[in-house]
Amino acid sequence: MQNQLLLGYFREHLFVADIDADTTAGVLGQLVEPLLKNSLIKNKTIILETLQKREALGSTSIGRNIAVPHCRTLAVSEVIIVVGISPGGVDFNAPDGEPVNLFFLIVAPPQDTHNHYLPILGKIVEIVRNDDIRASLLQCGTYGEFIETLEEGLR
Amino acid sequence: MAGKSQLELLVQYQDLVLMLQELRDEAVRGIGFQVENLSRLEEAIQELERALHPRYLRTFQRIAARQHRPIAPVSRDVCLGCFARQPTSYKARAWDDSELITCEQCGRILYWID
Ligand SMILES: [Zn+2]
Repeated sequence: MQNQLLLGYFREHLFVADIDADTTAGVLGQLVEPLLKNSLIKNKTIILETLQKREALGSTSIGRNIAVPHCRTLAVSEVIIVVGISPGGVDFNAPDGEPVNLFFLIVAPPQDTHNHYLPILGKIVEIVRNDDIRASLLQCGTYGEFIETLEEGLR
Repeated sequence: MAGKSQLELLVQYQDLVLMLQELRDEAVRGIGFQVENLSRLEEAIQELERALHPRYLRTFQRIAARQHRPIAPVSRDVCLGCFARQPTSYKARAWDDSELITCEQCGRILYWID
């Protein structure tokens, strides 16, 4: 997955700067909200249940304040990334027990014609495992700051 | 399961079956997410099998023998499994929970996502 290709998936209308839920289900609900608002899904039920089933098998937090909830679902017709920031941090059952402040929600249809879903998942995990980029991303409060930081980090 | 149509249950069924397949895949496991209790997912799949009308489940399994993903989303009246255009009248019929609509070209069960 090339950096430029990945960067093309981030959108301002798919950025939630103020996640204030305090449960896994609440956070997933707020992350899915922009999909509904932008008519990218018809209703939230199926996608939320599929995401929750995935979390029940083990948190998608990779520790160090980051989580990457993800699933394939028939509810969407393209690969979509929603970025969410929780300024206060949320208990997301992270392996290191730390609260999560930065979420990357990644959803993809079962038929993902370009086969970008798994490469995107892998790439995001790789990016946030870089201590410098992760620390900078965790400081971001707006979409502009976020995308600029990411572009810089990937340069 | 309450409040969901048979088609929605079937959609969820395919989502979970695919999740199970991918979580068993080495390439997916290699990304590094923690996964425990896969048996919990198997139980959820079995629960859906019990909630589904046997006729619907049989249709799904019959198509699954030929197509890796038996349900295809339909967007703007196009089957995203094979890109065949679907008659506009199908959409209204799909809302009625008494029948499953299949694509005449690829045979997949159709699910309108818009
Ligand atoms: Zn088709």
